[in-house]
Parts: sequence; structure tokens; C-alpha cells
Amino acid sequence: MRRTFVIAGRVVRQLIRNPRLLVLSVAAPLVIVYFLKIFFDTLPPTFDVARYAVPVAAFVVHFLAFLLCAIALVQERTMGTMERMFINGFRRTEIIAGYVLGFLGLATFQAVAGLAEAIWLFDLDYDGDTLAMLFVVVWLLAIASVMLGIFISTFARHEGQVFPFVPLIILPSVFLSGLLVDVDELPTWADWLGHVFPLFWANDVIQDLIESGWKFDDIQSSLAVLASYSVVLLLLASRTLREVE
Amino acid sequence: MNAIEVSGLAKKYGRFEALRGVDLSVGRGEVFGLVGPNGAGKTTLIKGLVGALRPSGGEVVVMGLNPLKDRAELRQRIGYMPQGPALYDDLSARSNVAFFGAAHRTENLKKRVDEVLRFTELSERAGNAVHTFSGGLKRRVSLACALVHQPEVIFLDEPTAAVDPQLRSRFWKTFRELANSGTTLFISTHLMDEAVLCDRIAILRKGSIIATDTPGNIIERGQTRLVVEREDTADEETIGGHPEDLAAALRPYGLEEEVTAVDVRTDTLEEVVLSLIEKDEVG
Repeated sequence: MRRTFVIAGRVVRQLIRNPRLLVLSVAAPLVIVYFLKIFFDTLPPTFDVARYAVPVAAFVVHFLAFLLCAIALVQERTMGTMERMFINGFRRTEIIAGYVLGFLGLATFQAVAGLAEAIWLFDLDYDGDTLAMLFVVVWLLAIASVMLGIFISTFARHEGQVFPFVPLIILPSVFLSGLLVDVDELPTWADWLGHVFPLFWANDVIQDLIESGWKFDDIQSSLAVLASYSVVLLLLASRTLREVE
Repeated sequence: MNAIEVSGLAKKYGRFEALRGVDLSVGRGEVFGLVGPNGAGKTTLIKGLVGALRPSGGEVVVMGLNPLKDRAELRQRIGYMPQGPALYDDLSARSNVAFFGAAHRTENLKKRVDEVLRFTELSERAGNAVHTFSGGLKRRVSLACALVHQPEVIFLDEPTAAVDPQLRSRFWKTFRELANSGTTLFISTHLMDEAVLCDRIAILRKGSIIATDTPGNIIERGQTRLVVEREDTADEETIGGHPEDLAAALRPYGLEEEVTAVDVRTDTLEEVVLSLIEKDEVG
């Protein structure tokens, strides 16, 4: 456990000392949500902004958390520090847990900032319970994205090999998770495929939450599935991260 | 008990045989050099010794432990300096050393980090980010990371590659100090002027050890040539490497008036290693 915190502390120090990464991870979601606002302003007044604003903000957090974490871990491999960590006695589980803890702060900040900006810019009016639950959903999605980044990084030998996973995993989730169109309107197979992506479950909860009069019973199963993504991806990553060539 | 025992170590990547039945042993407190051209398998062998790769065959024992089965215990007792810097560029030299030191149960880590930074003459730059360092300074940080937990065996993969002669000399002074304090050093290099500073060397070619001996004994395997220059000619003959051989070779000349110079040319370690590699290639 001590070594997990050592790794987490090092990851946080690296993030703080890398202004470019910080700007990308913090400023980029805010700028993208602002661009979304400009885009939505051009649409007819009948357009249901609330239906899309928070889910798109959640997607931005999901995408950036995934990408940053995957690239940071692949860099460990290309720089030789991953091998050095192993040879110095750090274990697989300690490295993964250390990364999760290290990126947890960043993911939390991204979730808070992205959500707060979306609610403020789009002038959305939700009660305290809904706001809290929206934050929980975006935060859980951010954690799942970090896990997904760790898992995908185990298949890439250099940073460039991370990018093919964007059209493979991230972009399909935009179309199949109910973000843009209702999943009921998709072909059955596409609807089922959409269930594979964590964004599907996050969007499912968000759509319930932004409708007035939601109850916890309505969202708990989707929320549980979203939370279980983190556990499953953590287990998968701990199986695939190679300690020995 | 030797610090390192290797028998029949093999590693295949598909059809390519990176290591072909390597046998060697390294005594405790010894400075052991692994010499060979690029692609000979030096890094693969070191990775096999530190448990970073799974051998295709053979056996490795380091400090009485199996690098794969006993890796948790072994990794507390070994240090590793890879060929590349393998450092966190955004962090300071001190943070890098402290991070790798924290992987071990190093008592009084802060004090130990200060000591090793002093030992590697990094104290003045300890707080600076590594990305501001020259290649030589990065090598020193990398060495400090390998030493911080006071390992009993240190594996150094071409530690002085792309390092200036002055720093190289300082590195070797450090290695000798470590060996004198009982640490075993396993150093890979392709520089013969470094290999000659080792207690023993092994020559690795295409994944096989073709010779293991002290640098002195390896040099003796080379040729000594006696060159006798007259006013208009020069005779050259190959003789044995001992003083008696030289005396016997000079006897017929009796130092005639027209002999203007006598020179004895002995093969350098590099020449001997190259000739051994060539002989091995010819078969």
C-alpha cells in the first residue's frame, strides 16, 4: 500500500510539473464545452439543449481522461521507467493502483469543472440532489476512462499506437451510446453493441437525472454497471500489464 | 557462493536466438565486464539476470535466488542501470532518486538520497528538473537511482555510452570504490579501454560466450610482434608474449651496427577481442 501512494504521489508531482499536460487536461474540456455552447446557440430555439449539454460534457471528460492516462502509461514504457519500476520491486497492482489514485484528482477536477461549466453556460437549473448525482456519474465515467486508458496502454508499445483505439472505442461510443440519438432508434445489434461502452450507461443515468422527478431506484442499476466498469477494467489491466518479456 | 551463476541460458524471439546457452559465474565483489559488439545480446543477458525476461531455457541464480521465482526478494538486493536514462524528465534529480529508493525498504531514505547524490556529485543540481540536464548528468542521476538502496549486485548496461572521457573516468573510480566495499558489478560495454579495467570479462558474440578470463590473460592470447628496422629494411616476426621470448628473438641479431631501432608491438585487448570474434565467425 505504501508503494501505491509513492507512485500516486509521483504521478501527481509529474502532472503539476508539466504545464502543457495540465493545460490540456484542464483547459481543453472547458474550451470544448464553450465551443459546444457557441454551436448550440446557432440551432433553433426548439432544440433541447438540456438533452445534449451534460452528456457531451461527460463525453469530453471521458475522452481526455482516457487519452491522457493511456499516453502517460505508454510513455512510461517508451522511456524505460516502467521496466525500471518493475526491476526496482514495484508490483503490477501497485503501479495500476498508483496511477488510478494519481489520476483520480485530475479526473475529479475535470468532472467538476466540465459539469459546472456546462450547467452555467447552458443555464441549466437542477436541484442539489440532481447536481450531486450528475457529478457522481461524470466522476464514475472519468474513473472508468482512466481504467480504460490503463488497459488500452498495455496493448501499445509507443504513443502512436494509442490513437487507433480512439476510432475503435471512443468514436463508436459517440454514435451508439445514446449521446446523439436515442438508442431505441438504432438497429438491435447496434443497440446491443452500444451497451459495451461505459458512456452508454453514463448517458442512461444522465438522461434519467435531467428529467424531473427521478428516483434512485430508476438509476441504480445503470450506476452500478458504470461503477463495475472500473473494477472489470482494473482486473483486466492487472492481467495484461506485462512485468516480464 | 558466487554472486551470479548462469548455465545454459537461452532466449528466443520467434526464430531469432538472442542468447544461445550462456554459461558464466561472477564472484562476490567482482567487477565483471560483458564485452561484445552491438546486437551481441548484452542487454538481453542483463535482462535475463534481473528477471525482466523469461528465458527460453537454462538457469540463472543471483545471490542464491531465482530472478523470476524469487523476484520480490531479489529486487531488494540488486540495482539496475539501464542503457537509456529511464528517468522522469519533469521531476528533479532528488525526486527521481527518492522515488526509486522508496520502492525498497530503505531506512532513513532522505539521508540516503543525500548521500548517494553526494557520491555521484549531484548535490548542487539535485533540485533541478532532469530535462535541464546534459546526457552525462542524466547518466549520473540514473546511476544514483541504481545505488540508492545499497544493492549487493549492480547491473549496469553500457553505463558510459555517450559519456565524455572525464566523466567516464569518474564513473570507473566510483565502480572500483563500490567493488572495494564488497558490491558486485556486472557491466556491459563495447569499449575495450573500459573492459581492461574489469577484474574479468566475458566476450559475447551472437548470443554465445566465446571467452571468459581476466583482461590480462585475454591480452596474452594475442600476438606480440618483434620489429627490427635496419637502414633500408624492416623484419617483423611474431613472438611469444613473455620476456624470455623477446630475449630469444633478439639473440640472433646481436644488435648489429645497422640495426637502428627495435620495437615490440603487443596486440591491444581490442585487437585480441576482434581476432577472437573473427576466429569464432570462421568457426
